[in-house]
Amino acid sequence: MLNARSAMNVKKCLVASGVLIAALIPCIAAAALGEPEASVQTDALQLRGSIHVTEHASYRLHEIQLPSGTLVREFVGADGKVFAVAWRGPAAPNLRQMLGRYFEPFAAAAGAHRTGHSHLQIQTGDLVVQAGGHMRAMAGRAYLPAGVPNGVDLGELH
Amino acid sequence: MRALLIGLCTALCLSALGCGGGHDGTSLSTGLGGGSPPAVSNVVSVVVDAGPTSTSLDANTLFTTVTVCTPGSTTNCQTIDHIQVDTQSFGLRILAPALNLALPVQAAGGGASLLECTVFVDGYSWGPVALADIKISGESASSVPVQVIGDPNFSNVPADCSGQAPTEEDTVAAFGANGILGIGVFDQDCGTTCVTTADNGFYFACTSTLCQPTTVALAGQVTNPVSLFATDNNGSIIELPNVAEQGAATLTGSLIFGIDTQTNNASGTETVLTVDPQAGYLTAIFNSQSLTMSFIDSGSSGIFFTDTSIAQCTDPSFSQFYCPASTLSLTVTLQGANGVSGEIGFSVDNAQTLEANNPTFTALPTLAGTYPTPGSFDYGLPFYYGRRVATALENNTTSLGAGPYIAY
Repeated sequence: MLNARSAMNVKKCLVASGVLIAALIPCIAAAALGEPEASVQTDALQLRGSIHVTEHASYRLHEIQLPSGTLVREFVGADGKVFAVAWRGPAAPNLRQMLGRYFEPFAAAAGAHRTGHSHLQIQTGDLVVQAGGHMRAMAGRAYLPAGVPNGVDLGELH
Repeated sequence: MRALLIGLCTALCLSALGCGGGHDGTSLSTGLGGGSPPAVSNVVSVVVDAGPTSTSLDANTLFTTVTVCTPGSTTNCQTIDHIQVDTQSFGLRILAPALNLALPVQAAGGGASLLECTVFVDGYSWGPVALADIKISGESASSVPVQVIGDPNFSNVPADCSGQAPTEEDTVAAFGANGILGIGVFDQDCGTTCVTTADNGFYFACTSTLCQPTTVALAGQVTNPVSLFATDNNGSIIELPNVAEQGAATLTGSLIFGIDTQTNNASGTETVLTVDPQAGYLTAIFNSQSLTMSFIDSGSSGIFFTDTSIAQCTDPSFSQFYCPASTLSLTVTLQGANGVSGEIGFSVDNAQTLEANNPTFTALPTLAGTYPTPGSFDYGLPFYYGRRVATALENNTTSLGAGPYIAY
């Protein structure tokens, strides 16, 4: 179950963004994966997308529709933290924004293990990144295995 | 795969590409000359070899040679070898260190230059959009928007680009080729999204201090050169010989331009698989699963799919490749958006054994590995071995029907 506090934080941030975008910054973290749910708002702002939220049994799903046509999905667990992000569409999203503090370890691991232009699988520390596709068709996900709620099939995280 | 391929490059300079000419030599256009009528050639040689560097991913990589000229010039030209042939990207991109010509960079208004961020799954490539006349075999196209990757005059990569993929691929070594010739089913690399949407991920208007996302008209986008050829411009055919299961040191074949435009590119009884007009996907049915985000890709270096029953390699250098105890014979059914399907048999060999037995081989038809995202079967260059595979462009029709389609 999602706790009420994280939902309130989201509401506060939404109100703040309506007044002054700068006011949003202090109340939320810089990026999404592994961060509090409110950081999804930052992602949406930074990625210049619009959010749609739906409730699921074990997580809350934020869908961010990007101007490029790519759909980003961010999965928030009962602890109020983002445990997975996924994307699909014609252009890759800004993964540095979506992965936050996990981006640099991801990039380092990817640079050390090259498997070609069409796909990528990285497992480093507590992070898994899986991506594939080609020009005009990108898909992938990044998740924190330890943060995936019990009972959630990895197949749902796309 | 790096370990598999180290040291191969030095061994190989025996292709029709003429490595001796090198990518650093500027050559004059030969013109018509001689008095005898020139053959109207729509065929260029393609080769699988170790590529221009010894440090890149070199297995199952197809290359050709391309001549570029500054627009309107017949003398200010350069012939560049080891341009990768890629049926899942669109447009010509050249690595700046391999290019000796100063191609005119396109303006983006307000004194800004037009820059592009090309994103492959494993990396991003940054550089200006410039115009070039392109000559391949007897085909030519004028003032084609191309990308110059890694141009030192535009070295500040905006975060909106570098954040899209983990690795910068702006050198020949990192990119694995002197350039890439995208001849897939689409005319432009981005298409209509970039006409209407600035935040498209592809294009940026840059001054010396600032890069901002920008829209670009279709004609200004990096464009599949085939679509701009004066003739033979409705698609292309890649024809490669069969390769023995254990592989081959190198392989030479043909890239033929046009479909049903000359006697050498006539259609017959091919299986025609139309692809979806947005992403270029087709469907693969494998192990009873329908994988709707699948593709055939000359730019992929193996056969990549998920089958948890196949042992993966234990050597970290071969991580994510398959290493079955003995050769596996498998089948996949490819199905087009038009409902047409065909069953394809293929073999999967032990990647570590392949390398150990023939460490200098670069054409490996049975090299296979895992594909990380669900719903996809990525049938790479091995699909083209022993086949004649046509790629029909969008907005074009052949005797077999309307593109975009793949036929074999």
